[in-house]
Amino acid sequence: MNAFLCTDNLCRHFGGVMATNRLCIEFEKTGLRSIIGPNGAGKTTFINIITGRIPASSGKVHFQGAEITNKPTHELVKLGICRTFQITSIFNNLTVFENVRIAKQANSGGSLRIFSTKKSLKKVACDTWVILERLGLKDLAGLPAKNMSYGDQRILEVAIALAGDPEILFLDEPTAGMSPAETKHISDLIKGLSKEISIVLVEHDMDMVMRISDKITVLHYGSIIAEGAPEEIRTNQLVREAYLGKDT
Amino acid sequence: MSGSPSMPDSHTSLSPLKLIGLVVLFIALALLPFVWGNRFYISLITEIMIYGLLAMSLDVLLGYTGLLSFMHNAYLGIGAYVVGLFLIHVSPTSLWLACLVGVVFTGLVALPVGWIQVRTGGLAFALLTLAFGMMFYTIVWKWYGLTGGDDGLMGVPSPDIQLFGWSVGNTGNPAHMYLLTLFVVAIALILTRRIISSPFGAVLEAIRENEERAAFVGINVRRYKLFGWMLACVLAGTAGALYILCKGYIGPVTMSAFAGAGVLMMVLLGGLGTLWGPIVGAGIFIYIQDYISTMTEHWEIFLGIVVIFLVLFMPTGFVGLGNFFKRLRKD
Ligand SMILES: Nc1ncnc2c1ncn2[C@@H]1O[C@H](COP(=O)(O)OP(=O)(O)OP(=O)(O)O)[C@@H](O)[C@H]1O
Ligand SMILES: [Mg+2]
Repeated sequence: MNAFLCTDNLCRHFGGVMATNRLCIEFEKTGLRSIIGPNGAGKTTFINIITGRIPASSGKVHFQGAEITNKPTHELVKLGICRTFQITSIFNNLTVFENVRIAKQANSGGSLRIFSTKKSLKKVACDTWVILERLGLKDLAGLPAKNMSYGDQRILEVAIALAGDPEILFLDEPTAGMSPAETKHISDLIKGLSKEISIVLVEHDMDMVMRISDKITVLHYGSIIAEGAPEEIRTNQLVREAYLGKDT
Repeated sequence: MSGSPSMPDSHTSLSPLKLIGLVVLFIALALLPFVWGNRFYISLITEIMIYGLLAMSLDVLLGYTGLLSFMHNAYLGIGAYVVGLFLIHVSPTSLWLACLVGVVFTGLVALPVGWIQVRTGGLAFALLTLAFGMMFYTIVWKWYGLTGGDDGLMGVPSPDIQLFGWSVGNTGNPAHMYLLTLFVVAIALILTRRIISSPFGAVLEAIRENEERAAFVGINVRRYKLFGWMLACVLAGTAGALYILCKGYIGPVTMSAFAGAGVLMMVLLGGLGTLWGPIVGAGIFIYIQDYISTMTEHWEIFLGIVVIFLVLFMPTGFVGLGNFFKRLRKD
């Protein structure tokens, strides 16, 4: 139980489907862990349980020594457990700036100031600009989020998650639908972040996964079938079968 | 990073020109009863402002927090009955104390109701507002000994309006009641606008936009939904206090689901998420209602037709019409 975040026999079933089957995974304080597996392997479900989107059927989640199983989402975020969504989830009618600012504000306080202006939260605004700058969204700051291109919306998704000052960040297929240039930008950013915080990446782009991951966990039918450094996973027979078996 | 560009908000603050316009409008409205002695219309405008306040409070809930209440008039009713009962049974002259008791009581009723309601969202929330609203309606209707049941609460005294120890008027005088209402509604509008454009307002809007995402940036969604609900109900209770002072009477019909639908129409007619739009919507609604009811007693049918027409051709309400003209001017 000394790991930064770990799951202990985590299970979740949907009817008869074991989407998460007795998973014990440990995450370190920093570094980039990828979770891969064929469609329906249970990657998103696993993230959903840890981040409080759906309750576990059984099993436990520990974070920094304390149990956090099935805690409300907003409390987990306050602890530094943040995520992005596979299906883009942003504030459509707010501007790009407002999207990030609300995340920053929720994180740094001031939400109960009912008689001050939003401008009065200077630190929130400054931090928001820093994040927009870092993700290359500064020029789009005034655009309503719904009017962004799909790829830019995916980047905004990451920006919102980063605004929560995560200690561990779960990214559910962040680059799906991005252009090669955007993918490069985001994968460099993720790699850079993983020096400071713990990153958990779910991704189908194998080149990217092999290139940037420190460690890879492979799921199949809700269970771990392999875990190790990218080279080990590349040559693992079980993994090949899981992927090939699905194609044929 | 202090030299960052101005904040790209979707809310812009009022331009000086608009501000001057609003001040002029307010002064004109305040002078109206002195130059125009028609008591009937002065009272009609007072009623429009009261319902405007109610519609605005519903806008806080629907337009900013994204929660639908079918019977927001229930909280106007509770406020009105309590103020009326206080004036009848406790003290016929303590205007401000009666209003305070009415508004606080409305809040005390709204709190547990809201606590239950915010555990849901969307349609379930809306249905719960209907269920609670009908419950309150039935209580008021059946509790004859206290509320006068079907006959309504009658004989509510008209207290003097005391300001810093001076009596500046009486609520029984239409012109005085008009001015009192104008000041209260103006203050409520300014305060609410302020609250809506605060960091707190930003939280409400985030919940309206995407409840799940709001939770995933660390917002305690239920708690803030409850705050939004309480704000809306306290404003509705304030409208209720003005209502009973203005009319001197209230019956259970004011708290019916039918009347609740009317308030919802005012908001939609005026335009969601603008605060002032629903006040205009209340004006249109009550004027039409009053105008048609002088010609036929089946005014609801004609009002229905007018509303259908407006919804079909002005789907974003009166505010949308303004934007339409703005676009025309630009082209
Ligand atoms: N809400 C749900 N209700 C019923 N079944 C579900 C639900 N969510 C997931 N499942 C099932 O659980 C299994 C795992 O789904 P999950 O979305 O976690 O897979 P995934 O690895 O993220 O797949 P993908 O790569 O397609 O995103 C699938 O069989 C899926 O059909
Ligand atoms: Mg998935």
